[in-house]
Amino acid sequence: MSGHEPSQPGSHTFDYKHVGGRFLGLVALAIVAYALVGFGAISNKEQFAFSYLFAFFFFFTICMGGLFWQLVHHAVDAEWSVVVRRQMENLASLLIVMGVLFIPLIFVAPTLWTWMSIDPAHNIVLGEKSAYLNDWFFWIRASFYFSFFTIASLWLRSNSIKQDAEGAAKYTIWNRKITFASLPFFAVCLTFAAIDWLMGLDFLWFSTMWGVYIFAGTALSSLCVIVLIITALRNVGYFKNVISMEHYHIMGKLMLAFTIFWAYIGFSQYMLIWYANIPEETTYYLRRNTETWQIMSTAMVVGHFFVPFALLLFNFGKKRPGFLCGMALWILSMHLLDMYVIVLPALHKAGVQIHWLDVACLVAIGCTLACVFLKRLGSAPLWPLRDPRLAKSIALKN
Amino acid sequence: MNAVGNTNAPIYGVAAEFQCARDLYHAAEKIRDAGFEKWDVFSPFPIHGMDEAMGLKRSILGKLVFLGGLTGFLTAITMEFGTSSFLYPLIVAGKPTNLFTVPAFFPVMFELTILLSAFTAVFGMLILNGLPRLNHQLFNWDRFKKVTEDKFFVAIEARDQKFSTRSVSDFLESLGATNITTIHGD
Repeated sequence: MSGHEPSQPGSHTFDYKHVGGRFLGLVALAIVAYALVGFGAISNKEQFAFSYLFAFFFFFTICMGGLFWQLVHHAVDAEWSVVVRRQMENLASLLIVMGVLFIPLIFVAPTLWTWMSIDPAHNIVLGEKSAYLNDWFFWIRASFYFSFFTIASLWLRSNSIKQDAEGAAKYTIWNRKITFASLPFFAVCLTFAAIDWLMGLDFLWFSTMWGVYIFAGTALSSLCVIVLIITALRNVGYFKNVISMEHYHIMGKLMLAFTIFWAYIGFSQYMLIWYANIPEETTYYLRRNTETWQIMSTAMVVGHFFVPFALLLFNFGKKRPGFLCGMALWILSMHLLDMYVIVLPALHKAGVQIHWLDVACLVAIGCTLACVFLKRLGSAPLWPLRDPRLAKSIALKN
Repeated sequence: MNAVGNTNAPIYGVAAEFQCARDLYHAAEKIRDAGFEKWDVFSPFPIHGMDEAMGLKRSILGKLVFLGGLTGFLTAITMEFGTSSFLYPLIVAGKPTNLFTVPAFFPVMFELTILLSAFTAVFGMLILNGLPRLNHQLFNWDRFKKVTEDKFFVAIEARDQKFSTRSVSDFLESLGATNITTIHGD
């Protein structure tokens, strides 16, 4: 950074004075939450298994979205997202933590994924599927997903940070190559992770749109988190003269686009199953459209699509960080509801039954990730300082 | 000053040439500030920020597209519920023939909304631009062919309130334009 020009973008390293003692607060909260979760895991193993999977997948999708946006950035050689890319990298680098947080699920696997405790010889459907749904292949897949997520996210991030020091364009080109190699794996891994861990909750049920449905929520929710992170950093004085309302405008447009995309995919999945009316397919929606689950499903149609669609459609809010943050929080809460309606009906077949473990698991995983994220935030500049496209990205105009 | 076209025909306007996009951009800002309304710039490629430099207002096309989409949406609703739920209710695959049939009707509503929006956008854009047209007075000027190559042009039309051949050409000259030419019709 040179000199004293008036358009000096300000400090690019995160100062921990903005966090201060709150970091210890987060750690303490995480410890308390883990203690509660541990107690819950002993006293009510079934509830723990489902609550934990729900919380795990909620945060997993957000981190995966960080990887997705980064891959898109490199694949299309994007200009606008250079200034926000480091935060995507920070978010994606949490995937290694998600890999560690997956471990508790190993111990409750047969509770969650019932096919594990059923003999394929006694169940014709499972017998047909046993080439895919068998123990060792399941665990190999899971370890492959996490190896890939970790390698891709950390490699992209380390190249990006090296560029801050050296300024060589070769890192941009390298990252593009890594991206092209990663994109097919990303699509396959996210799809099959969604199939293994969520669709596998009921091994009799299947939907061919499952992967893309989960992906739609992934991209949308993580974009919301990026908006929140950027705004939080701006509010304490970073990104001055780096991120302008033009960047917010683009993120707002993408939020609208992915709100529509989520609804498009969600509706397509629902409509095909509803119209064909095949018993083995309708079980999923039957449970979620009866009893008190019906309220949740209906709330999601209104809250996850109609409300954000109507509010984001017009131009007035997309250039206002406050408005966009409100929308981001709203969409994130809807994404949480989405995950809840996916996971928990598998346990509470009779209707909604919110348990304190749902909250405890969310707090435990959320605080862990927040702590690691804060460490990541300070370990590298807040935006790629010497990216070849930085100047153009800063001067962005819609 | 040169004149092209049929000099007995009415004047279309005065056009002038610039050598680079930056000159054209700054000229556009000054023409805008001088209060001209019927004028345009021409360049081999889109110039970012030119709409602002020219002082162009937001197009009404967006509102037209909304109306087009609304028409498609309402058409779909009328045709679907009108026929399938009221005039001749048909029970298909045990599905109800009332408001709850809506999932089956969504695809048509969606497609018709998109279709009429797209039509309005494309044809509305053509109409607002006065296209298609067979010829334009500016083509009477040979140098104007360079507009698809490496030259940049401004044309101030005679129908502008502030237009007079002499003052406009002096004004353009003061902006650093070259080859200032009066364009006549055919």
